[in-house]
Amino acid sequence: MSDRIRLTFPRDESYHGVARLVVGGLAARLSFSFEYLEDLQLALDSLLANGAYQAGSDVTLELLVEEDGVEMCVGPVTPALRTDLERRLDESEGVGLGRLLATLVESVEIESRDGGEWLRLAKRTPSRGVAASA
Amino acid sequence: MAPPREAHPFSRGGCLGVSATPERTDRELLRRYHHDGDVEARERLIEQYLPLVRSLARRYSYRGEQLEDLVQVGCIGLIKAIDRFDVDRGVELTTYATPNIIGEIKRHFRDKGWSIRVPRGLQELNVKLSKLIEELTVQLERSPTIPELAKAASVEEEEVLEALETGQAYSTLSLSAPTSGDDEDLDPLESLGELEPEYEVSEDRAVLAPGLRVLDERERKILHLRFYDGLTQSQIAQQVGISQMHVSRLIRRSLEKMRAEIATDTTDTELRAS
Repeated sequence: MSDRIRLTFPRDESYHGVARLVVGGLAARLSFSFEYLEDLQLALDSLLANGAYQAGSDVTLELLVEEDGVEMCVGPVTPALRTDLERRLDESEGVGLGRLLATLVESVEIESRDGGEWLRLAKRTPSRGVAASA
Repeated sequence: MAPPREAHPFSRGGCLGVSATPERTDRELLRRYHHDGDVEARERLIEQYLPLVRSLARRYSYRGEQLEDLVQVGCIGLIKAIDRFDVDRGVELTTYATPNIIGEIKRHFRDKGWSIRVPRGLQELNVKLSKLIEELTVQLERSPTIPELAKAASVEEEEVLEALETGQAYSTLSLSAPTSGDDEDLDPLESLGELEPEYEVSEDRAVLAPGLRVLDERERKILHLRFYDGLTQSQIAQQVGISQMHVSRLIRRSLEKMRAEIATDTTDTELRAS
C-alpha cells in the first residue's frame, strides 16, 4: 500500500509555492536528491503554468509514494492539455510541455477519475537516498 | 549592424512598436503642460509612454502579479515623472521616467508584503546552499539530498526547502536579493525578460520560433542540453561553467520567458483578429 499525500489549493499563482514546498517536504522525508526534487518541482511548475485546469475549480495535487518511485497526479485538467502534451516540438520550435515532461519523468498519462481527467506523472528512484535525476 | 547598446528601444520608434516621437515633440508637449498648464498635452505624453510602462511592468509580471495591475502602478510613476520633469534640463523624458516607473513598481512590491519580502537569513542561506550543492556533488559524486544539505549548512531541513523556494521565486522577490555569486546575476532586474536592442536586426533570431526568439544564446544552449541531449543540471553546470543553482534558475527563467512571449503573441494575434 503506497503512502498518499493530497493537497487541494486555489488556482491562484501565489499558491503554487505551497505546492512546491509540499513536494520539497516529501523529498526531504524520503532523502531524494536535489536534482530529483528539481525535476519534480519543474514538472509541477510547468503543469501549473500551463493553466489547463477546469474553470472555477481548485487544483488538486496528489503524491503517491511507491516502492520504486513517486507518482504525482494533478487535476482536474481540461481536454486541451492532451493537445499540449502531444506538442513535443522540434528543436527549432522550442520546448513543448510534452518534451519537458518526457525529460523530467518516466511516464506521463491522462486518466479519467472523480468525474474529470487527471494527469499522472511517474518518476522512478534508482535507489532510496541517492535518487538521481531522470 | 546592431544599434549602439545605449540607444533606448523606446526613444526612436524602437523594436516594441512605439511610434516615432521626435524629441522636440516631447519637449513641446512638456512645455505646453508645464508652462501653459495644457492638460491635454500631459495626457498625450502619458499615452505615448504607455508602451514603455507596459514593457517595464512585464519584467516583473512573471510570477504572482497581474500585468495590468503593474501597468497601473507603473503609470503612477510615469505621471509623477511627467509632473516633476524639468523642461530646462537637457535630459530626455525616457531617461527620467524609466527609474521613476521601476521605482513605483518596486515600491508596490515592497508595500505588498509577504509575497515579495524574503527574510535576509533565507537569502543568505540560498547563496550558501548554492555553494554547498557544488561542493557536496563533487564530494559525494552524486547530487546531495535535502537532509545532507541541511546537515552541511547546520540548519533544519525545512529551512533548506524555504531557502530553495526563495531562489525559485526570483522574479518578484529577489529584486535586490544577493545571488549565488555568478557574475551575471548582479541585478535580477537586468536578468529578467528584457528585449535586447540588437535582436530585431539579427537574422538568426528572425527565423526562430516566437518562444525561442526571446532567449539568448546561452539560454537556448542550456535548454538544448537539458531537454534534447538529456544532460542533468550538474552536467550542464560543469559544461557551461556556472553553478547548478544558476542552471536551475536559467532553465526556469527561459521557460517563463518563452511562455510569456507566446502568451503575448497569442494576445496580439487575437487583438488583430478582433
